[in-house]
Amino acid sequence: MNEKILDEIPYIVNPRKDTGLFNSKIGIWLFLASEVMLFGGLFSGYIFLRVYADYPWPERVLPILPGLVNTFILIASSVTVVFAWAMLKLGKWNMFRLFMGITIACAAIFMGFKVVEYKAKFEHQGVRLADYTILEGHLHAADVDSHGHIVHDSHGHDAHGEGHDAHKGHDDHGNKEATTVHTSVNNIIFDAKKLTFDLTKVDEKYLETILEQAATHDAKVTFSKDVFSQSEPGVKPVKIISAGDELSYEKLIAAKEAFVAARTHNAAERTAELRRLWKESKAENEGVAGWKQAQDIAIDTDKLALVPAKSSISATVEPHISFVFAPQKVKSYNASSLTRKDGTMVVGSLQKSPMELGIDAVDFTFLVQQAEEMGIDPDDAVEKAWILSHSPAVKAAWEEHKKHVAAIDEAYFQEALKKTDGDEEKAREIANHVPEVEKYRMTWKDLVRYGSHGEINLQWYDGFKGANHKNEEWAAHFPDISIPREQIAFESKFTPRWNNYYAIYFTITGLHGLHIIGGAIVLGYYMFCPNMFRKNPTWLANRVEVAGLFWHFVDLVWIFLFPILYLM
Amino acid sequence: MSASTSHDHHDHHEPNFLQKYVFSTDHKTIGIQYGVTALLFIALGFYLMMVMRWSIAYPHEPLPEWMSWVFTEEWRGRWLQDGKVTGETYNMFGAMHGTIMVFLGVVPLGFGAFGNYVMPLQIGAPDMAFPKLNMMSFWLYFVGGAMMVASFFLESGAAKSGWTNYPPLAQIADSQFVNQLFTGQTQWLLGMVFLISSSLLGSVNVIVTMVNLRAPGLTWFRMPFFCWAMLVIAFLLLLAFPPLEVAAIMQVMDRLTGSSFFMPSGLYTASAGALDVSGGGSPLLYQHLFWFLGHPEVYVLLLPAIACVAEIIPTNTRKPLWGYKSMVWGVMVLGFLSFIVWAHHMYLTGMGPMVSSFFQVTTVLISVPSVILLTSLLISLWGGSIRFNQPMMWAVAFIPMFGIGGLTGLPLAFNLADLHLHDTYYVIGHFHYVVAPGILFGLFAGIYHWYPKATGRHMNNFLGHLHFWPSLIFINLVFFPMLIQGMAGFHRRWYNGGDAYLEKAADGVNVFGLTVLEKIDLNILMSTSAWFLAAAQIPFIVNFFTSWKTGKKVENDNPYDATTLEWATPTPPGHGNFETLPEVYRGPYEYSRPDHDEDYYPQWHEPAVAKKEETADL
Repeated sequence: MNEKILDEIPYIVNPRKDTGLFNSKIGIWLFLASEVMLFGGLFSGYIFLRVYADYPWPERVLPILPGLVNTFILIASSVTVVFAWAMLKLGKWNMFRLFMGITIACAAIFMGFKVVEYKAKFEHQGVRLADYTILEGHLHAADVDSHGHIVHDSHGHDAHGEGHDAHKGHDDHGNKEATTVHTSVNNIIFDAKKLTFDLTKVDEKYLETILEQAATHDAKVTFSKDVFSQSEPGVKPVKIISAGDELSYEKLIAAKEAFVAARTHNAAERTAELRRLWKESKAENEGVAGWKQAQDIAIDTDKLALVPAKSSISATVEPHISFVFAPQKVKSYNASSLTRKDGTMVVGSLQKSPMELGIDAVDFTFLVQQAEEMGIDPDDAVEKAWILSHSPAVKAAWEEHKKHVAAIDEAYFQEALKKTDGDEEKAREIANHVPEVEKYRMTWKDLVRYGSHGEINLQWYDGFKGANHKNEEWAAHFPDISIPREQIAFESKFTPRWNNYYAIYFTITGLHGLHIIGGAIVLGYYMFCPNMFRKNPTWLANRVEVAGLFWHFVDLVWIFLFPILYLM
Repeated sequence: MSASTSHDHHDHHEPNFLQKYVFSTDHKTIGIQYGVTALLFIALGFYLMMVMRWSIAYPHEPLPEWMSWVFTEEWRGRWLQDGKVTGETYNMFGAMHGTIMVFLGVVPLGFGAFGNYVMPLQIGAPDMAFPKLNMMSFWLYFVGGAMMVASFFLESGAAKSGWTNYPPLAQIADSQFVNQLFTGQTQWLLGMVFLISSSLLGSVNVIVTMVNLRAPGLTWFRMPFFCWAMLVIAFLLLLAFPPLEVAAIMQVMDRLTGSSFFMPSGLYTASAGALDVSGGGSPLLYQHLFWFLGHPEVYVLLLPAIACVAEIIPTNTRKPLWGYKSMVWGVMVLGFLSFIVWAHHMYLTGMGPMVSSFFQVTTVLISVPSVILLTSLLISLWGGSIRFNQPMMWAVAFIPMFGIGGLTGLPLAFNLADLHLHDTYYVIGHFHYVVAPGILFGLFAGIYHWYPKATGRHMNNFLGHLHFWPSLIFINLVFFPMLIQGMAGFHRRWYNGGDAYLEKAADGVNVFGLTVLEKIDLNILMSTSAWFLAAAQIPFIVNFFTSWKTGKKVENDNPYDATTLEWATPTPPGHGNFETLPEVYRGPYEYSRPDHDEDYYPQWHEPAVAKKEETADL
């Protein structure tokens, strides 16, 4: 051992005798211990959020089949990675590459399924109404004209056709409809007279939506007043914007710079003055506490050489047009003014801004929970739900659903009756009931079944991605509804924003997916190291072993993830 | 593996400048990189504190020019009001002072610098087990720190919600900005993810190195206490940091994707109205995840200091460390217990008496191993012929200073007393006594102790005294009045030092019978002491950088006649550390052995009656 060169790290390839381990093996076990704490933290978070949830936690809402298939794919890849390692130990390079290739392919298929699953969520819209009814579905698309009217023409909305592809943003629809904006119907439509920009927060992308829509409708947005730049008094102010200039990002930035320069100058002036006042005060009031002196100190701004500094700037819209604003980018609004998240204030009038939704699930469980907390009979509360009085199709489906639930309850009762020898009271006590989750929730499968009066028989493999609006046969039974904005308490795509179930789902599966990608890159890299195999096969086998241990861990995490996210 | 195959992988090429000093994989260079970077961060953290202390002592006066010159005029226009520190700016500086001192300053200095530089030398290893990971660990830390500091120059400013970053406050802060990615709050969280990844790599490296790369003969109980402490720290970092990473990721999700992990239902703020989020989350969850790291983190801060002192005291008393084995077991118990005390930071959240009682008991329990460590150090001094050189002065000062810090913590361990003292300056005084005069003194001792090994030159003795005595005096004048003010009810987040309180209720008496009016003038004493404390660090900075080239040269590789393996290396150690593979024959602290002529018996000296033939064959 003494003849070893001392700047070599020992035990990279062969294990140390007394510990029986080579370095990276200890390393990976420690790393995995840390990973256990990482995912342990996330799982604890899941438990905490679920146990303390003050809303009905979504149960069994993901399509199980893709998750199940993925579980087996990942288990298979854990087996093949061991085979790959064994082949390396046996010195069979080509077999190693074969098995490693299969492992990587499994990882790719797994991620493929994940992409499909994620994409379905990102397209799915959820709405919580003011009465806590939750509707799920797909947004319709339509054209909005310059007066804020939603135009249902052949191009825009037809029952279940292309209208279900929610377009984000504002596609200009060519010559034929030059004065409409094509968009998914979930927007705040606001007739604007005057815009006021917050110069400290000017954002180019926010501004673009305004400029583009004004251009589409041939409206001019012009600054209302002259703006001058003056960084010091005595210097002649430079006019940087004249009233009537057209609104542009560059002009706003120029105004912002002028404001910052003026603010900087004024701050320096005021600071110098305050220093002088304190110097005087201290000379006069020796021994008096600072907080008492401070009561007599005030800056007289008239004496100072300050320059005007304005942090906002206004523009007018001529002729008035209606702007279409994505609700996520609006901070607040009322009937006559609206503030976007970049601080832009729009003065004008709020137009009808409904959401047009093709419903594929109706969920009263939150409403029921709220009713129970307030001591109201849940069934009465459901009957009074807004959606039942505004959508005959939902109402009809709901009646069917109640019958369906009653039939099952009755069947349970009859079953129980046999056990109690006809004692009805006892039977009622022991009979099973349809759980609340299923009693107060109609899934897309229910809607299809009720709507088609049992004609469409859904199979276990249907709905791999969940509700599919592109399947016209099914989508014909998804009721359409126009929801007025004031009925909407909260709305979101099925992203982490929708609720904490989806938030933790995306966070854990997203991190798990990153682990899969990272592991696959490392494992795949070894397939392209024939030189390492030739020179030092034991070392390469060590590396594959260590990466394989990581791969098993990633597999294990999924085995915990699958039941808690898909089955429970 | 035979030497021939390993030869193929190793080309003996000379590293260029970048490889040698910037992207170095040598644990000693990385250790020094960690040390210097951490000291710079500590200086920045100190500066932020001085600005805050100005605002506390003189809330109505503009920041003096000697303090505000570092800012650009534009920055002053944005963040100061007539030159005065605003509440928002104070919060920002406070949050960043804590973050920088804990995560970017003391941990990298203690664990990153000393753990990297000294530990492999003490176990006779040629380098860390994974040198490239070691380099990555440093650069991840550097990038994480740079992100956090760079956020001072964003439109939003840096993070401003306390170093603990509690939601929902932390999530509402900066939420008015359109681009959430480039806000101070988000950058803080992302920076934290970098820092946590950095310490993950570092801790794996340290543990593997210690398990597999110990020199022949260096059994576990022949390891110096320093290494044991590093081992425990590494496990704390390895296992306690991931939950904070979870918390940071979840809060990033909340900020960037609009989820509600930490946002309760029905949240309403004056500026934003009813928040447009789904709600249903739990701010308490964040606190649990944070403090699950937060408490072990205290020991990550503390143990390097104890470790340094435990090396310096035996060397300079010429006596074995008293109770070496109890200290080793003590530090292990301490490490274990530190995982189950976290919620004593959360008594005020209304967890309920059962949970509070549990954490109260574990908290009291953890004082047992802490006292074992400190008492062993104290008894180690007993009857020694003490050499009061530079490191020893700092090490001896560490003991009472840390003692004050520890003992003032006892009332806070009890639910009942904590309800009154929570979030007052008493708490600030307590943990600063632990961290500043305690831990930093211990680490200064370490710097003075190992400086000759790292550079081949001693630090200047006169400048050392000029550093030590003023520091000792002024640091106590900064922190001791805090304990008194805390009992008068001074709140830790008053950006004007209690001034606004005076106008409303100057004679308000709190449970301890002290009034704000009586104690507010202490602010001026404390702040002035803080400026002097800053001045007292100038001799150190001068000393640190000039002694490198002009200090007195060390006469031999073992200038202190010490016993542990780092003194067996050439000075400064070259690449690969040892000229011949060292072998260890005895425990780490064999000083003044009656059966030995010299008063020290190094671990690597072969016994007189050695079986020479046998060992040569190894």
